[in-house]
Amino acid sequence: MLEVDSLSLAYGLHRALDKVALTVGSGEIVCILGANGAGKSSLLKAIAGLLPSLPGKRVMLGDRDLSRLPAHRIVECGLALVPEGRGIFGELTVAENLLLGANPKRARDGEAARREEVLTLFPRLRERLHQTVRTMSGGEQQMVAIGRALMSRPDVLLLDEPSLGLSPAMVHELFATLQRVREAGLGLLLVEQNASESLRIADRGYVLENGVIIDHDTANNLKRKPAVQRAYLGG
Amino acid sequence: MTNAILTGLMLGGMYALIAMGLTLQYGVARIMNLSYGEVLIAAAFGAQGLFTGWALSPFAGLAFVIPVAFLLNLAIYRVLLSPLVRRARTRDALEVDSILATFGLAFILQGIMLSMFGGAYYSYSYLASPVHLFGETIAANRLAALAVCILLGGSLYLALTQTRGGTAIRAVAVDPAAAQLVAIDVARTAAFTFALGGALVASAGVLISTFLTFSATSGVVFTMKALIVVVMGGVGNMLGCLVAGLLLGVSEALVASLIDPGLTLAVNFALFLVVLLVKPAGLFGRASR
Ligand SMILES: Nc1ncnc2c1ncn2[C@@H]1O[C@H](COP(=O)(O)OP(=O)(O)OP(=O)(O)O)[C@@H](O)[C@H]1O
Ligand SMILES: [Mg+2]
Repeated sequence: MLEVDSLSLAYGLHRALDKVALTVGSGEIVCILGANGAGKSSLLKAIAGLLPSLPGKRVMLGDRDLSRLPAHRIVECGLALVPEGRGIFGELTVAENLLLGANPKRARDGEAARREEVLTLFPRLRERLHQTVRTMSGGEQQMVAIGRALMSRPDVLLLDEPSLGLSPAMVHELFATLQRVREAGLGLLLVEQNASESLRIADRGYVLENGVIIDHDTANNLKRKPAVQRAYLGG
Repeated sequence: MTNAILTGLMLGGMYALIAMGLTLQYGVARIMNLSYGEVLIAAAFGAQGLFTGWALSPFAGLAFVIPVAFLLNLAIYRVLLSPLVRRARTRDALEVDSILATFGLAFILQGIMLSMFGGAYYSYSYLASPVHLFGETIAANRLAALAVCILLGGSLYLALTQTRGGTAIRAVAVDPAAAQLVAIDVARTAAFTFALGGALVASAGVLISTFLTFSATSGVVFTMKALIVVVMGGVGNMLGCLVAGLLLGVSEALVASLIDPGLTLAVNFALFLVVLLVKPAGLFGRASR
């Protein structure tokens, strides 16, 4: 469903990503493991069109070519990003953030039903619909960010460290939610510091080191690899 | 006294309307538009021309002036300002560039108007019949202008707060990077909002022309007042525009009638200073940012 190929990216002379290739199928959760500075956030942003990448990349979503589209058009094609730092509108209310989530034309059909789904997924948001997002707790803001992304009726959802700053209980709740989202048929590409939790729900994983994918396997196999355990599972 | 307050409220309503347009242009397009008042005066000349040339009522003239002003401002943005937008690395850099560019534009517009109309003061008499209100008499054109002003400002406020398109405009003001994530075309929204602000100040120019005299060089006063109101109310805050606008209008009218009309500008700035001393971010602004 999502196919990325030959994606390279440089900040000045520093090459942050080198010919990255990956796929995410529908109903699949794929995680990316990597140390700080490996290029995980850059990768998600480049796929979403927020960063200009070096020539030659190919990003396909189904049969649509996203390689040369600007970020706002990519959302219209069905790829949504919950960026590092959430990217929600702090000065607006929860309801307004969700309203804007459904701003892509593809999201207008069945908007009300989708809003119901999101509010069922995150009951806390229903109580806080008219609260200014800036004044909410970190976990609540994360719900707004994911809820807003879901409102755009994505086929593939990219999540950059959604569990950052959440309590262990909230992390658990979040991952359960992500599994429910996957059951609806979405493809999820997940970047997480919390490698054990993410390998638990993921189907497959990629290991990114200094901008290069050095390993790719099923989540179960990755969990057993000594190199992965040493670097990401603290074992 | 009552008359002064009525006049003040009416003036204040105009200031609020003018400031709404400026705060839109600044908040969303990040253009600090110093040629803002010139657009207002150009529209006033437009209304005057339509009235004396075609006997068209200025209120009907709005139907003509608003779309023309929208398109002209869109053209100004596309031709003059979007090169600045493209080359600006940060929003702050754009702000500085736009100040310089629109300062120049103000002189160009003023020069064109001076060559067309000279330096003389213009006015025309429309709907000047007196109306009795609260035991005072006030000219009908002022009341009509106030009514249209409330209608325009009110519908803009509702559009910005109650519709998806309006919310999208506010979203660009809040966080342009995040706006792309919800399929908002930031460049287009900025252009549209700049033009919308221009249309708004043009409509204010038409309304003001029905009861104030104006000349090719009066624009700068309106730019200044709009800036004062925007900063006083808190940048980007529509409610702040309304409150600060009314405050400015009423204090001006009271001072003019009770003390001396020559003191209005001095009172403007005194009020401005006091507000900034007490609340540096403006009446409705938040201290951070
Ligand atoms: N705007 C930038 N300018 C220059 N270098 C950058 C920029 N953004 C990121 N980098 C560099 O690119 C590399 C990859 O950064 P990136 O944010 O993608 O890492 P990450 O894998 O998401 O790390 P983390 O786990 O800490 O979030 C880092 O070395 C970083 O210093
Ligand atoms: Mg990161």
